[in-house]
Amino acid sequence: MSLAIDLLIATGLVVLAWQALVGGSLFRGIVMFIVFGLTMALAWARLGSPDLAMAEAAIGAGVTGALLMIAYWRLRALGANRPAPRSPLRARVALGVGLLSAVLVAMIGLAAVGAIGPGGEAGQALAEALPATGLGNPITGVLVIFRNLDTLLEVAVLLAAYVASRAVMGDDKAALPLPPAQDAPLVGALVAVLAPLAVLVAIYLLKAGSQLPGGAFQAGAVLAAGGVLLMLAGRLHPAPLCGVGLRIALVAGTVVFSGVGLIMLALGQPLLAIPGTWAVYLIETAMMISIGATLVLLFAGSAGLTGTPRR
Amino acid sequence: MNALEGLAALLLVAGSSFFLAGTVGLLRFPDALSRLHALTKADNVGLLLICSGLGVLAGSLQTAGMLLLVWLLAMLAATVSAHLIAGRALADDTPELPGEQDDTP
Repeated sequence: MSLAIDLLIATGLVVLAWQALVGGSLFRGIVMFIVFGLTMALAWARLGSPDLAMAEAAIGAGVTGALLMIAYWRLRALGANRPAPRSPLRARVALGVGLLSAVLVAMIGLAAVGAIGPGGEAGQALAEALPATGLGNPITGVLVIFRNLDTLLEVAVLLAAYVASRAVMGDDKAALPLPPAQDAPLVGALVAVLAPLAVLVAIYLLKAGSQLPGGAFQAGAVLAAGGVLLMLAGRLHPAPLCGVGLRIALVAGTVVFSGVGLIMLALGQPLLAIPGTWAVYLIETAMMISIGATLVLLFAGSAGLTGTPRR
Repeated sequence: MNALEGLAALLLVAGSSFFLAGTVGLLRFPDALSRLHALTKADNVGLLLICSGLGVLAGSLQTAGMLLLVWLLAMLAATVSAHLIAGRALADDTPELPGEQDDTP
Protein backbone atom coordinates (compact mmCIF):
# COMPACT_ATOMS: atom_id res chain seq x y z
CA MET A 1 0.00 0.00 0.00
CA SER A 2 2.71 2.47 0.99
CA LEU A 3 4.72 1.40 -2.06
CA ALA A 4 1.70 2.27 -4.20
CA ILE A 5 1.58 5.76 -2.65
CA ASP A 6 5.32 6.24 -3.21
CA LEU A 7 5.02 5.12 -6.84
CA LEU A 8 2.05 7.44 -7.32
CA ILE A 9 4.03 10.41 -5.95
CA ALA A 10 7.15 9.57 -7.97
CA THR A 11 5.19 9.17 -11.21
CA GLY A 12 3.20 12.29 -10.45
CA LEU A 13 6.41 14.29 -9.96
CA VAL A 14 7.82 13.27 -13.34
CA VAL A 15 4.51 13.94 -15.13
CA LEU A 16 4.05 17.31 -13.39
CA ALA A 17 7.62 18.38 -14.16
CA TRP A 18 7.09 17.47 -17.81
CA GLN A 19 3.75 19.27 -17.91
CA ALA A 20 5.27 22.37 -16.29
CA LEU A 21 7.83 22.53 -19.10
CA VAL A 22 5.77 21.64 -22.17
CA GLY A 23 2.28 22.72 -21.04
CA GLY A 24 0.39 24.63 -23.69
CA SER A 25 0.44 28.04 -22.05
CA LEU A 26 2.62 29.88 -19.58
CA PHE A 27 -0.23 30.05 -17.07
CA ARG A 28 -0.68 26.30 -17.25
CA GLY A 29 3.04 25.80 -16.75
CA ILE A 30 3.01 27.95 -13.61
CA VAL A 31 0.05 26.07 -12.14
CA MET A 32 1.80 22.77 -12.89
CA PHE A 33 4.95 24.08 -11.19
CA ILE A 34 2.97 24.94 -8.04
CA VAL A 35 1.34 21.51 -7.98
CA PHE A 36 4.80 20.01 -8.55
CA GLY A 37 6.06 21.88 -5.46
CA LEU A 38 3.19 20.57 -3.32
CA THR A 39 3.75 17.01 -4.56
CA MET A 40 7.47 17.42 -3.86
CA ALA A 41 6.55 18.43 -0.30
CA LEU A 42 4.55 15.20 -0.01
CA ALA A 43 7.57 13.28 -1.25
CA TRP A 44 9.84 14.90 1.37
CA ALA A 45 7.27 14.11 4.06
CA ARG A 46 7.20 10.47 2.91
CA LEU A 47 11.00 10.41 3.06
CA GLY A 48 10.88 11.51 6.69
CA SER A 49 12.14 15.07 6.13
CA PRO A 50 9.44 17.34 7.55
CA ASP A 51 11.82 20.34 7.50
CA LEU A 52 12.34 20.03 3.78
CA ALA A 53 8.64 19.30 3.22
CA MET A 54 7.69 22.54 4.97
CA ALA A 55 10.33 24.58 3.17
CA GLU A 56 9.29 23.13 -0.19
CA ALA A 57 5.59 23.79 0.42
CA ALA A 58 6.13 27.30 1.79
CA ILE A 59 8.93 28.54 -0.46
CA GLY A 60 8.97 26.17 -3.46
CA ALA A 61 5.24 26.06 -4.05
CA GLY A 62 3.85 29.03 -2.10
CA VAL A 63 6.15 32.01 -2.43
CA THR A 64 7.74 31.00 -5.75
CA GLY A 65 4.27 30.30 -7.09
CA ALA A 66 3.11 33.77 -6.03
CA LEU A 67 6.22 35.36 -7.60
CA LEU A 68 5.68 33.46 -10.88
CA MET A 69 1.99 34.44 -10.92
CA ILE A 70 2.72 38.14 -10.38
CA ALA A 71 5.45 38.01 -13.04
CA TYR A 72 2.96 36.41 -15.41
CA TRP A 73 0.37 39.05 -14.57
CA ARG A 74 2.91 41.84 -15.24
CA LEU A 75 3.92 40.27 -18.53
CA ARG A 76 0.28 40.35 -19.61
CA ALA A 77 -0.17 43.89 -18.28
CA LEU A 78 2.83 44.95 -20.38
CA GLY A 79 0.99 43.60 -23.40
CA ALA A 80 3.68 41.06 -24.11
CA ASN A 81 1.19 38.89 -25.90
CA ARG A 82 3.42 37.90 -28.79
CA PRO A 83 4.83 34.38 -29.02
CA ALA A 84 8.45 34.03 -27.97
CA PRO A 85 10.84 34.03 -30.92
CA ARG A 86 11.88 30.49 -31.78
CA SER A 87 15.32 30.30 -33.27
CA PRO A 88 17.07 27.03 -34.14
CA LEU A 89 20.17 28.23 -32.26
CA ARG A 90 18.12 28.67 -29.10
CA ALA A 91 16.63 25.23 -29.47
CA ARG A 92 20.08 23.68 -29.86
CA VAL A 93 21.43 25.52 -26.83
CA ALA A 94 18.37 24.50 -24.83
CA LEU A 95 18.84 20.89 -25.87
CA GLY A 96 22.49 20.98 -24.81
CA VAL A 97 21.74 22.61 -21.48
CA GLY A 98 18.91 20.14 -20.88
CA LEU A 99 21.16 17.15 -21.62
CA LEU A 100 23.91 18.49 -19.37
CA SER A 101 21.39 19.03 -16.57
CA ALA A 102 20.08 15.48 -17.03
CA VAL A 103 23.65 14.12 -16.80
CA LEU A 104 24.29 16.21 -13.69
CA VAL A 105 21.08 15.03 -12.00
CA ALA A 106 21.88 11.41 -12.90
CA MET A 107 25.40 11.76 -11.44
CA ILE A 108 24.08 13.30 -8.22
CA GLY A 109 21.49 10.54 -8.02
CA LEU A 110 24.13 7.83 -8.48
CA ALA A 111 26.32 9.49 -5.85
CA ALA A 112 23.36 9.66 -3.47
CA VAL A 113 22.61 5.98 -3.97
CA GLY A 114 26.22 5.13 -3.15
CA ALA A 115 26.53 7.60 -0.29
CA ILE A 116 26.81 6.60 3.34
CA GLY A 117 23.43 6.74 5.09
CA PRO A 118 22.53 8.98 8.04
CA GLY A 119 24.49 6.62 10.30
CA GLY A 120 27.68 7.56 8.44
CA GLU A 121 30.54 9.72 9.62
CA ALA A 122 28.94 13.15 9.28
CA GLY A 123 25.65 11.93 10.76
CA GLN A 124 27.45 10.38 13.74
CA ALA A 125 29.55 13.47 14.35
CA LEU A 126 26.38 15.56 14.25
CA ALA A 127 24.53 13.27 16.65
CA GLU A 128 27.48 13.45 19.08
CA ALA A 129 27.93 17.23 18.87
CA LEU A 130 24.27 18.24 18.89
CA PRO A 131 23.39 17.74 22.61
CA ALA A 132 26.14 20.19 23.63
CA THR A 133 24.47 22.97 21.59
CA GLY A 134 21.15 22.74 23.44
CA LEU A 135 19.31 22.26 20.12
CA GLY A 136 17.11 19.27 19.44
CA ASN A 137 16.63 19.69 15.71
CA PRO A 138 19.73 18.50 13.81
CA ILE A 139 18.69 20.53 10.74
CA THR A 140 18.81 23.79 12.70
CA GLY A 141 22.11 22.66 14.22
CA VAL A 142 23.64 22.17 10.78
CA LEU A 143 22.14 25.39 9.36
CA VAL A 144 23.07 27.78 12.16
CA ILE A 145 26.06 26.18 13.91
CA PHE A 146 27.93 23.47 12.02
CA ARG A 147 27.65 24.68 8.41
CA ASN A 148 26.58 28.24 9.09
CA LEU A 149 28.77 29.83 6.42
CA ASP A 150 26.48 28.21 3.81
CA THR A 151 23.40 29.64 5.53
CA LEU A 152 24.95 33.10 5.84
CA LEU A 153 25.70 33.04 2.13
CA GLU A 154 22.14 31.93 1.38
CA VAL A 155 20.79 34.98 3.20
CA ALA A 156 23.32 37.18 1.41
CA VAL A 157 22.27 35.68 -1.95
CA LEU A 158 18.64 36.55 -1.20
CA LEU A 159 19.66 40.14 -0.44
CA ALA A 160 21.75 40.26 -3.63
CA ALA A 161 18.79 38.91 -5.62
CA TYR A 162 16.60 41.72 -4.31
CA VAL A 163 19.23 44.38 -5.05
CA ALA A 164 19.65 42.95 -8.57
CA SER A 165 15.89 43.01 -9.13
CA ARG A 166 15.85 46.68 -8.08
CA ALA A 167 18.66 47.39 -10.52
CA VAL A 168 16.82 46.00 -13.53
CA MET A 169 13.31 47.13 -12.68
CA GLY A 170 11.90 50.63 -12.85
CA ASP A 171 9.10 51.71 -10.58
CA ASP A 172 6.69 52.15 -13.46
CA LYS A 173 6.40 48.39 -13.78
CA ALA A 174 5.60 47.89 -10.13
CA ALA A 175 1.90 47.40 -10.68
CA LEU A 176 -0.27 44.95 -8.83
CA PRO A 177 -3.60 43.47 -9.86
CA LEU A 178 -6.50 45.62 -8.75
CA PRO A 179 -7.46 44.44 -5.25
CA PRO A 180 -11.07 43.54 -4.46
CA ALA A 181 -13.09 46.58 -3.39
CA GLN A 182 -12.34 47.68 0.16
CA ASP A 183 -15.93 46.98 1.15
CA ALA A 184 -15.99 43.54 -0.45
CA PRO A 185 -17.55 41.15 2.04
CA LEU A 186 -15.40 38.35 3.49
CA VAL A 187 -12.06 39.81 2.38
CA GLY A 188 -11.76 41.87 5.55
CA ALA A 189 -12.60 38.84 7.65
CA LEU A 190 -9.99 36.76 5.82
CA VAL A 191 -7.30 39.39 6.35
CA ALA A 192 -8.32 39.89 9.97
CA VAL A 193 -7.88 36.18 10.66
CA LEU A 194 -4.96 35.25 8.42
CA ALA A 195 -2.60 38.21 8.87
CA PRO A 196 -2.20 37.83 12.66
CA LEU A 197 -2.20 34.07 12.21
CA ALA A 198 0.73 34.33 9.78
CA VAL A 199 2.75 36.23 12.39
CA LEU A 200 1.79 33.73 15.09
CA VAL A 201 2.67 30.70 12.95
CA ALA A 202 5.96 32.30 11.86
CA ILE A 203 7.02 32.92 15.46
CA TYR A 204 5.93 29.41 16.43
CA LEU A 205 7.91 27.88 13.55
CA LEU A 206 10.96 29.90 14.56
CA LYS A 207 10.73 28.85 18.20
CA ALA A 208 9.87 25.24 17.42
CA GLY A 209 12.75 25.09 14.95
CA SER A 210 15.29 24.62 17.72
CA GLN A 211 13.77 21.31 18.80
CA LEU A 212 11.23 20.30 16.15
CA PRO A 213 10.89 20.73 12.37
CA GLY A 214 10.80 24.43 11.52
CA GLY A 215 13.22 27.33 11.37
CA ALA A 216 13.95 30.74 9.94
CA PHE A 217 13.35 29.91 6.26
CA GLN A 218 9.91 28.38 6.83
CA ALA A 219 9.00 31.15 9.27
CA GLY A 220 10.16 33.85 6.83
CA ALA A 221 8.13 32.28 4.03
CA VAL A 222 5.00 32.28 6.21
CA LEU A 223 5.60 35.96 7.08
CA ALA A 224 6.01 36.71 3.37
CA ALA A 225 2.76 34.88 2.63
CA GLY A 226 1.03 37.15 5.12
CA GLY A 227 2.54 40.19 3.38
CA VAL A 228 1.46 38.95 -0.06
CA LEU A 229 -2.06 38.44 1.28
CA LEU A 230 -2.15 42.01 2.65
CA MET A 231 -0.94 43.29 -0.69
CA LEU A 232 -3.46 41.33 -2.79
CA ALA A 233 -6.24 42.42 -0.44
CA GLY A 234 -5.28 46.06 -0.96
CA ARG A 235 -4.08 46.68 2.61
CA LEU A 236 -0.42 47.15 1.65
CA HIS A 237 0.88 48.94 -1.44
CA PRO A 238 4.17 49.30 -3.31
CA ALA A 239 5.96 52.56 -2.56
CA PRO A 240 8.77 54.26 -4.46
CA LEU A 241 10.90 54.80 -1.36
CA CYS A 242 12.30 52.32 1.11
CA GLY A 243 11.73 53.41 4.70
CA VAL A 244 14.40 53.07 7.38
CA GLY A 245 12.58 50.24 9.14
CA LEU A 246 12.27 48.26 5.93
CA ARG A 247 15.95 48.81 5.13
CA ILE A 248 16.92 47.46 8.53
CA ALA A 249 14.59 44.49 8.01
CA LEU A 250 16.18 43.76 4.61
CA VAL A 251 19.75 43.60 5.90
CA ALA A 252 19.01 42.34 9.46
CA GLY A 253 19.75 38.69 8.69
CA THR A 254 23.07 39.33 6.94
CA VAL A 255 24.21 41.97 9.45
CA VAL A 256 23.27 40.10 12.64
CA PHE A 257 24.60 36.77 11.37
CA SER A 258 27.93 38.11 10.18
CA GLY A 259 28.09 40.50 13.17
CA VAL A 260 27.86 37.65 15.67
CA GLY A 261 30.46 35.73 13.68
CA LEU A 262 32.86 38.69 13.56
CA ILE A 263 32.44 39.51 17.26
CA MET A 264 33.34 35.92 18.08
CA LEU A 265 36.42 36.28 15.87
CA ALA A 266 37.38 39.44 17.76
CA LEU A 267 36.97 37.55 21.04
CA GLY A 268 39.52 34.99 19.87
CA GLN A 269 37.03 32.32 18.81
CA PRO A 270 36.88 30.86 15.30
CA LEU A 271 34.97 32.93 12.71
CA LEU A 272 31.19 32.38 12.93
CA ALA A 273 31.43 30.42 16.17
CA ILE A 274 27.99 30.56 17.82
CA PRO A 275 28.19 31.52 21.52
CA GLY A 276 24.97 29.81 22.63
CA THR A 277 21.33 28.99 22.04
CA TRP A 278 20.35 32.63 22.56
CA ALA A 279 22.55 33.54 19.57
CA VAL A 280 20.82 30.88 17.48
CA TYR A 281 17.45 32.47 18.28
CA LEU A 282 18.82 35.97 17.64
CA ILE A 283 20.28 35.00 14.25
CA GLU A 284 17.18 33.03 13.24
CA THR A 285 14.86 35.91 14.20
CA ALA A 286 16.91 38.37 12.13
CA MET A 287 16.98 35.91 9.22
CA MET A 288 13.22 35.39 9.42
CA ILE A 289 12.58 39.14 9.26
CA SER A 290 14.98 39.58 6.33
CA ILE A 291 13.60 36.61 4.39
CA GLY A 292 10.02 37.78 4.92
CA ALA A 293 10.76 41.40 3.95
CA THR A 294 12.82 40.44 0.88
CA LEU A 295 10.20 38.06 -0.46
CA VAL A 296 7.37 40.57 0.04
CA LEU A 297 9.39 43.29 -1.72
CA LEU A 298 10.23 40.93 -4.58
CA PHE A 299 6.50 40.30 -4.94
CA ALA A 300 5.72 44.00 -4.76
CA GLY A 301 8.43 44.73 -7.32
CA SER A 302 9.04 48.04 -5.58
CA ALA A 303 11.58 49.73 -3.34
CA GLY A 304 9.26 50.11 -0.39
CA LEU A 305 5.84 49.46 1.06
CA THR A 306 3.12 51.74 2.32
CA GLY A 307 -0.27 51.37 3.91
CA THR A 308 -1.78 54.14 1.80
CA PRO A 309 -1.95 53.74 -1.97
CA ARG A 310 0.27 55.82 -4.25
CA ARG A 311 -1.63 58.36 -6.30
CA MET B 1 -11.03 -3.93 12.35
CA ASN B 2 -12.97 -2.60 15.30
CA ALA B 3 -15.97 -0.30 15.22
CA LEU B 4 -13.92 2.90 15.43
CA GLU B 5 -11.68 1.93 12.53
CA GLY B 6 -14.77 0.99 10.54
CA LEU B 7 -16.27 4.39 11.21
CA ALA B 8 -13.00 6.10 10.23
CA ALA B 9 -12.80 4.09 7.00
CA LEU B 10 -16.40 5.02 6.19
CA LEU B 11 -15.68 8.74 6.77
CA LEU B 12 -12.47 8.64 4.72
CA VAL B 13 -14.12 6.86 1.79
CA ALA B 14 -17.06 9.27 1.89
CA GLY B 15 -14.67 12.24 1.98
CA SER B 16 -12.65 10.88 -0.93
CA SER B 17 -15.81 10.42 -2.97
CA PHE B 18 -16.60 14.11 -2.41
CA PHE B 19 -13.13 15.03 -3.66
CA LEU B 20 -13.50 12.73 -6.67
CA ALA B 21 -16.92 14.17 -7.54
CA GLY B 22 -15.62 17.71 -7.02
CA THR B 23 -12.64 17.11 -9.30
CA VAL B 24 -14.79 15.57 -12.02
CA GLY B 25 -17.14 18.54 -11.74
CA LEU B 26 -14.26 20.99 -11.93
CA LEU B 27 -13.00 19.35 -15.10
CA ARG B 28 -16.32 18.68 -16.81
CA PHE B 29 -18.70 21.52 -15.89
CA PRO B 30 -19.05 24.21 -18.55
CA ASP B 31 -18.72 27.56 -16.73
CA ALA B 32 -16.94 29.15 -13.80
CA LEU B 33 -19.88 29.23 -11.41
CA SER B 34 -20.85 25.58 -11.74
CA ARG B 35 -17.20 24.55 -11.54
CA LEU B 36 -16.90 26.50 -8.30
CA HIS B 37 -20.08 24.84 -7.10
CA ALA B 38 -18.47 21.42 -7.61
CA LEU B 39 -15.13 22.47 -6.16
CA THR B 40 -16.42 24.01 -2.94
CA LYS B 41 -18.29 20.84 -2.00
CA ALA B 42 -14.99 18.97 -2.06
CA ASP B 43 -13.28 21.69 -0.06
CA ASN B 44 -15.96 21.93 2.61
CA VAL B 45 -17.70 18.60 3.10
CA GLY B 46 -14.95 16.39 1.65
CA LEU B 47 -12.26 17.88 3.86
CA LEU B 48 -14.56 17.76 6.91
CA LEU B 49 -15.23 14.05 6.36
CA ILE B 50 -11.53 13.30 5.87
CA CYS B 51 -10.51 15.32 8.93
CA SER B 52 -13.23 13.59 10.97
CA GLY B 53 -11.99 10.19 9.80
CA LEU B 54 -8.41 11.05 10.70
CA GLY B 55 -9.54 12.48 14.04
CA VAL B 56 -11.33 9.24 14.87
CA LEU B 57 -8.21 7.28 13.89
CA ALA B 58 -5.90 9.57 15.90
CA GLY B 59 -7.78 8.79 19.10
CA SER B 60 -6.53 11.91 20.87
CA LEU B 61 -8.54 15.04 21.49
CA GLN B 62 -5.53 17.28 20.82
CA THR B 63 -4.94 15.87 17.34
CA ALA B 64 -8.66 15.94 16.61
CA GLY B 65 -8.77 19.60 17.68
CA MET B 66 -5.85 20.47 15.40
CA LEU B 67 -7.56 18.68 12.49
CA LEU B 68 -10.66 20.74 13.21
CA LEU B 69 -8.52 23.91 13.02
CA VAL B 70 -7.08 22.71 9.69
CA TRP B 71 -10.61 22.28 8.37
CA LEU B 72 -11.75 25.69 9.63
CA LEU B 73 -8.75 27.45 8.08
CA ALA B 74 -9.08 25.63 4.76
CA MET B 75 -12.79 26.45 4.69
CA LEU B 76 -12.15 30.12 5.40
CA ALA B 77 -9.62 30.36 2.56
CA ALA B 78 -11.72 28.28 0.16
CA THR B 79 -14.89 30.26 0.89
CA VAL B 80 -13.30 33.64 0.34
CA SER B 81 -11.36 32.63 -2.78
CA ALA B 82 -14.45 31.00 -4.28
CA HIS B 83 -16.40 34.16 -3.49
CA LEU B 84 -13.77 36.35 -5.17
CA ILE B 85 -13.49 34.14 -8.26
CA ALA B 86 -17.27 34.04 -8.58
CA GLY B 87 -17.49 37.81 -8.22
CA ARG B 88 -14.81 38.29 -10.86
CA ALA B 89 -16.47 35.80 -13.22
CA LEU B 90 -19.78 37.64 -12.84
CA ALA B 91 -18.14 41.04 -13.36
CA ASP B 92 -16.27 39.88 -16.46
CA ASP B 93 -19.44 38.15 -17.63
CA THR B 94 -17.21 35.51 -19.17
CA PRO B 95 -18.03 31.91 -18.46
CA GLU B 96 -14.34 30.91 -18.70
CA LEU B 97 -12.10 30.72 -15.67
CA PRO B 98 -9.28 33.27 -15.94
CA GLY B 99 -6.14 32.03 -17.62
CA GLU B 100 -7.85 29.58 -19.95
CA GLN B 101 -7.43 31.68 -23.05
CA ASP B 102 -4.37 31.61 -25.27
CA ASP B 103 -1.87 33.64 -23.32
CA THR B 104 1.65 32.97 -24.51
CA PRO B 105 3.39 36.23 -23.75
